[in-house]
Amino acid sequence: MSKKHIKVSAAFVLLILFAFRQPVKKIRIYLIGDSTIAIKQTTAYPETGWGMPFVNFFDKDVQIENRAQNGRSTKTFVAENRWQPVVDSLHTGDYVFIQFGHNDEVPTKASYTPINDYRNYLIKFVSETRSKGGNPVLITPVSRRKFDALGKALDTHIEYAAMVRTVASEQKVPLLDLDQKSIALLQKLGVEDSKMLFNQLQPGEHPNYPEGKIDDTHFNELGAREMAQLVLKEIRTLNLDLVNHIVKPVVKK
Amino acid sequence: MNRIAATFSVGILVVLAMAFKQDKKPVTVWMIGDSTICPYEPSRAPITGWGMPFAGFFTKEVKFENRAKGGRSTRTFISEERWRPIADSIAAGDYVLIQFGHNDEAKEEKYKDRYTAVPDYIVNLTKFITETRAKGGEPVLITPVSRMKFDKAGNALETHEDYSNAVYETGKHLQVPVIDLDKGSRTLFGQLGPAQTKMLFMQIEPGVNPIYPEGHKDNTHFNELGARRMAEIVLHEMQLQHIKLADFVYKPKPAK
Repeated sequence: MSKKHIKVSAAFVLLILFAFRQPVKKIRIYLIGDSTIAIKQTTAYPETGWGMPFVNFFDKDVQIENRAQNGRSTKTFVAENRWQPVVDSLHTGDYVFIQFGHNDEVPTKASYTPINDYRNYLIKFVSETRSKGGNPVLITPVSRRKFDALGKALDTHIEYAAMVRTVASEQKVPLLDLDQKSIALLQKLGVEDSKMLFNQLQPGEHPNYPEGKIDDTHFNELGAREMAQLVLKEIRTLNLDLVNHIVKPVVKK
Repeated sequence: MNRIAATFSVGILVVLAMAFKQDKKPVTVWMIGDSTICPYEPSRAPITGWGMPFAGFFTKEVKFENRAKGGRSTRTFISEERWRPIADSIAAGDYVLIQFGHNDEAKEEKYKDRYTAVPDYIVNLTKFITETRAKGGEPVLITPVSRMKFDKAGNALETHEDYSNAVYETGKHLQVPVIDLDKGSRTLFGQLGPAQTKMLFMQIEPGVNPIYPEGHKDNTHFNELGARRMAEIVLHEMQLQHIKLADFVYKPKPAK
């Protein structure tokens, strides 16, 4: 056999080996929840869900599947058949991050989910995630911006956040207490500076909102990133396996 | 003529009519400048050049070519052959947005490669303008966006005096629209005050963002919010000066 033949054969063998190489399995993080996490259409910018900047925090082995939708409660997320496709596509080792509440807790909304139903839906998400070998993570609803006259940041999801904590404790699910952490951040910033995190726009400031916008619920680019950073910090505190896949900074030349 | 032939003829006519329909050529906006405008990879987020959110204000009829590059002065932008390919590609009706200064004015020894004295800066700006016009393009000059600098009383200070003046004078001399982003940004910083202005810049506490684990303190480069606020200032100035490009801004459908 000539040298050339050997080379070609070696290359061929390598190629075959590559073809059979175990592909690196991605860990998927499914985000299910409402507008505070969801991906926004460009026409809604600068409103930003925290799931959007969150994708930048992980390495290439992690794939974020942001399935959160504006206006959804646990009840409507299930009723609209948004949950079943998540269950169907779950693999062992995947994560499901669950953050609802904003639309569950409002009795005047069609999405209203009484507290006991809310509890049952959370348990459904947890147990069905586990049945597929996935890791559920419960997140308390991120705070709205609300201060009392003395400048104290108020709890805006008392009942529903408490239920998330209860379910997490009963079901032994890791809990990211984003409600508490975001209240602390809003308190640190205070009444005025905390506006800088929300979708607050003067009339004529942004083409998407010609009349301006005063919104104490939905975040702008900065607020969404700050919330994503809080979520990440909690992931580190809980020492979820995901900490091994947090992105490393690009080394500056 | 049978029916098939008739249908076929109508079809041909329609195709011909479409071919001769006024082809609405998309406007291209070429952006040239430095790190304060340029695009960034998500691996460096949240650093953001204002050209990124600016492009988001417009309808699909406008195509953006953000060719700004970090660390470049007017001089190095030209010497690295970054301008020539743009000048060659400009079509009639295109816009060229020009914002330099941060690196032109850098006098420190380590930045001598990029330093451009004011008279040369003017020559380079003039080159961008005349070569844009030669291709039927519309140049727009932009004064360098302010750095964050406050005095003890909380007044936002001028950080590019000589170079902003040079932009202004060049614009006046050659009758090119000037967007005074330097002044506009400083006015905004003054309104917001030091604490809120800091929230527009790449200021990150250690340990909160994995991309900047040691934290970051930067009074020049913007985060995602700061870049958008700067883009808004540029857009407003364009609207005030009735620069035609502003006609292509996205208009939401009125709320029901």
